Amino acid sequence: MASLVSIRTPRRLPKIPGCRLRSLSTDDRSLLARAAAGDASALEILMTRYSARVFRLAYGITRSAADAEEVAQDVFLQIVHKGAGFEGRAALGSWIYRITTNLSLNKRRGKRRELETSLDDLLPTYLPDGHRAGDRAFVLADWSRTPEHELLSGESRRILEAAIDRLPEHYRAVLVLKDVEELSNEEVAQIVGDTIAAVKTRLHRARMALREELTRHLGAGM
Amino acid sequence: MICREAIDVLADYLDGTMPRDLAAELERHLADCAPCRAYLATYRKTRALGASAARVEMPEEMQERLRRFLIDGLRGV
Repeated sequence: MASLVSIRTPRRLPKIPGCRLRSLSTDDRSLLARAAAGDASALEILMTRYSARVFRLAYGITRSAADAEEVAQDVFLQIVHKGAGFEGRAALGSWIYRITTNLSLNKRRGKRRELETSLDDLLPTYLPDGHRAGDRAFVLADWSRTPEHELLSGESRRILEAAIDRLPEHYRAVLVLKDVEELSNEEVAQIVGDTIAAVKTRLHRARMALREELTRHLGAGM
Repeated sequence: MICREAIDVLADYLDGTMPRDLAAELERHLADCAPCRAYLATYRKTRALGASAARVEMPEEMQERLRRFLIDGLRGV
């Protein structure tokens, strides 16, 4: 399927503050080279280590199990075909997350206007003096003491899922990398190829949009 | 600090990456502002709920299909 390609010695990486994903290890390099040479056991080890993360991220961005499955297949094909040439300037996990993000966003191309809506209507509004605007009962609504299992079932679960579906895909990518995969802002920025400031803005807006949708549903009962 | 500024920095506050003096200023605002306290509490809860709802694991049968797809590909089937 693929020929053995020599692995270059990775260059020394500059230390990135907040970056916990380790750089390419000897073990990773060996696995990539063996998988590229057609070694099924090496590919199985890579699958065991990374397929769950690949699927979670791909599903999180595409919101489709069928699309996420195709993305996972394409990610591992790229690992087999291109992994041996991977220079290890980033951690293997980070590289795999990046491939997954790019393939998932490509998969969404052409579909992005089906569900997604502008977040502007879901962000907090303010009075000219900078204080919260809106109905007093609504701005005071605090449903945070409702047990999580209740909020993750029934109508509120449906509302949350629909709100996630409506987030722009780049926002979902950041939300999954940060809140599900628990990566740092620095790592997320590296993966999505954007600045830390842009990542933080998207993440904050995505969370605020979800919070607003939940509050519109739950706040009425407060 | 006003509400707009307080809400702008909630993510950094929850991350624990905010400078100490700014965090203290936010906490003073929160002590006096019930809407922002409610916002912070529901924002924090949303973060946890969003993570749980967005976390969808790969079904076992899909994992097996992926394994078979790749191994067959390696063997040139």
